[in-house]
Amino acid sequence: MGTLSLIWTLMKREFRRLASRRIYGFMMILAPAFGFLFFTDLLKPGLPMKLPIAVVDEDYTSLSRQLTRSLDAIAQTEVVLRTADFQAARKAMQRGEIYGIFHIPADFRQEVSLGKQPELTFYTNETYLLPSSLVYKSMRLQAALANGAVQQTILLAKGEGGPQLTAKLSPITVDTNPLNNPWISYAIYLASILMPAFVFMFAMFTAAYSISQEMKEKTATEWLQSSEHSIIVALLGKLLPQTLIFMVTGLFYLSILYAYWHFPLNSGFFPMFFAMCLLVLAAQGFGIFATGLMRKTRIAFSACALWGVLSFAVSGFTFPVPAMPPLIRLFSNLFPLRHYYLLYVDQALNGIPVIYSWKPYLALLLFGLLPLLVLPRLKRNLQENRYLS
Amino acid sequence: MKDIFYIFRREFYIVFRDRGVLTFFILLTLAYPLIYTYIYSNEVVREIPVAVIDQAQTPLSREFVRRWKASPNVKVVAHCHELEEAKKWMYRKKIYAILELPADFSQNIRRGEQAHVALFCDMGALLNYKALLQTTSDVAMEMGKEIQVEHLPYASRIQQEITASPVNIKEVKLYNPQSGFASFIIPAVLILVIQQSLLLGVGTIAGTARDRNFQHGMIPHSKYYKKAWNIVLGKTCVYLPIYFVMGFWVFWVVPRIFSLTQIGSKVNLMLFLFPFLLACVFFAITLSFISKEREQPFLLFVFTSVPLMFISGISWPKEGIADYWIVFSKIFPSTYGIDGFVKINNMGATLREVLPEYLSLWGLAILYFALACLLFYREILKNRRSMLRCH
Repeated sequence: MGTLSLIWTLMKREFRRLASRRIYGFMMILAPAFGFLFFTDLLKPGLPMKLPIAVVDEDYTSLSRQLTRSLDAIAQTEVVLRTADFQAARKAMQRGEIYGIFHIPADFRQEVSLGKQPELTFYTNETYLLPSSLVYKSMRLQAALANGAVQQTILLAKGEGGPQLTAKLSPITVDTNPLNNPWISYAIYLASILMPAFVFMFAMFTAAYSISQEMKEKTATEWLQSSEHSIIVALLGKLLPQTLIFMVTGLFYLSILYAYWHFPLNSGFFPMFFAMCLLVLAAQGFGIFATGLMRKTRIAFSACALWGVLSFAVSGFTFPVPAMPPLIRLFSNLFPLRHYYLLYVDQALNGIPVIYSWKPYLALLLFGLLPLLVLPRLKRNLQENRYLS
Repeated sequence: MKDIFYIFRREFYIVFRDRGVLTFFILLTLAYPLIYTYIYSNEVVREIPVAVIDQAQTPLSREFVRRWKASPNVKVVAHCHELEEAKKWMYRKKIYAILELPADFSQNIRRGEQAHVALFCDMGALLNYKALLQTTSDVAMEMGKEIQVEHLPYASRIQQEITASPVNIKEVKLYNPQSGFASFIIPAVLILVIQQSLLLGVGTIAGTARDRNFQHGMIPHSKYYKKAWNIVLGKTCVYLPIYFVMGFWVFWVVPRIFSLTQIGSKVNLMLFLFPFLLACVFFAITLSFISKEREQPFLLFVFTSVPLMFISGISWPKEGIADYWIVFSKIFPSTYGIDGFVKINNMGATLREVLPEYLSLWGLAILYFALACLLFYREILKNRRSMLRCH
């Protein structure tokens, strides 16, 4: 039999095996689809709006009420508690009901008009990093506006005004250009990595699990025989069906990200499509490598699980890798998802020429080739049907 | 009572003779929090490599750049002449942001017009953007104030001060003063490590029992395995003490090693964590029924950590989560665990202030105890039926 028809026979055998157990359907379709839909639905709003804050108003004059109102009017914050008692606000903060407190001191208005420089204080609950940074921004803006409004009144009273008034109020402004994510959307940077991470994790587990099952069910010898004792043919026949299925799953998340959500895809379709395909191959490569290297299934699985879960941290999409300890910076190169993240930033987000991204592409390819290192060992284990739990 | 003791002894041997289970119960809970916290141990982003394009080249513009450079967030690695050149640096990942001062920067200030500086930021990591934006606007405000003062030559010193800032602004960052990333994410990770390692470990025990049982059942044919609650309690008596020890390490020692925020009272913390551990144990026993073989816990439970982290309200604010996900999140002990632990440990709340979470955990413990009993009862019935068939 020719090699191709041999592989084709093995592929048919593998499709049957995949269809025969529910756990494969769970790993290849159900769980990734759940992950995609979960994050699609969860991150839908992009930026969380109407975050609850409290205003402690000890002044209670028209000025302080106006401040409160404009704080409430900012889309990102909602004043849910107005009180003159700071303790009450602090307790609400401790119960997690509010993310920030805006404190207007007693006699605020009076001191402003007397030029006594009263102090506006705002508190943020930094235990919740994301909402606190959003309410921080709103409250800081509001405090600055309050300052500006008072200044404006003073300057107008002194007869200064006209077009140069804004320059007087803030002589230097910062024009920010958040490149390719002008909405500063959290959904873009979270979903772009969380979804492929699911595909990575399950492609890796499916590869490792399907091979270890052959040994556990004592079908490995038969599998090798039907591939005429070529471990390469055996692996190709076994894994190609999974590769195809995971690439379809991958296309599913790509279409959610770039067709349904219209996230930035400045590179065009193909660079990211290749990145996704290579990620699937890298995942399978890592799965086979772990199974071949460790004699005990559970250690191979533990390695896969560790790699899958640590990927979320060391890929650097939430906390940048250059800010991590030197050891972890080196270590991060051992994670396929890290390279996928670099490709996403270069290609989908920034759309820079593909030539600049050759390193991560190559790295993913190398992960895909990892099994070559353990082929003889894996073959020996398969021949003996050696299953060690 | 004798039954419980028998089951306890048998379970004890199962746990301590199975390296796979011990890996989850002991090794994972020991090592994982250390690795994870170490990854984030720098807490904040510092010295972000950036490029400066100063097209004005005047004392004022240089002053702006000098102050900007002085910030710990910034490390200028290149001075460029034009944007295209700087962008090449960005493509090669040598820099993550570009600060551009236009040619008319100082001219505008002298004329009393508004001057602009432009910050171009790579959005691959939002933390970089946040740090750079803060630094730049701080410098702009500080210099702006001085310029305002200079432009009021007729006024007295105090008057200048007041006009430049009639209201003082003070910001206070509570519970995590440097907005550190580890202090924010690790408490949630610690709670999840406990719950997930129990799921994996107990799932492995169940899967192994099924692999070895000729009828794929969960319990042996034995006169001691006749009452469902005895089985659940016997198992719990093994898992719970192990997790008291591991819990001490995870919740008390690890935060200490990395000097994370830890302002809660020890008594409150222990009182709160007891129902959490109990609920986790019963939860793990209940869910172990879906693990049909030894390897399956990996496939079933590992991936759930990330969605659980998100619906707990730490990574993503609760206000932005749809109601049905909130309801869904209530069936997991980790949701209340994270909420309560963060409030006590990081925000110094007392048990009274986390009463809703505390009571909910007891509720979950009772619920999962009942469910676990029910599932074992079914196993007992199955065993009895097969016995009858044999005779």
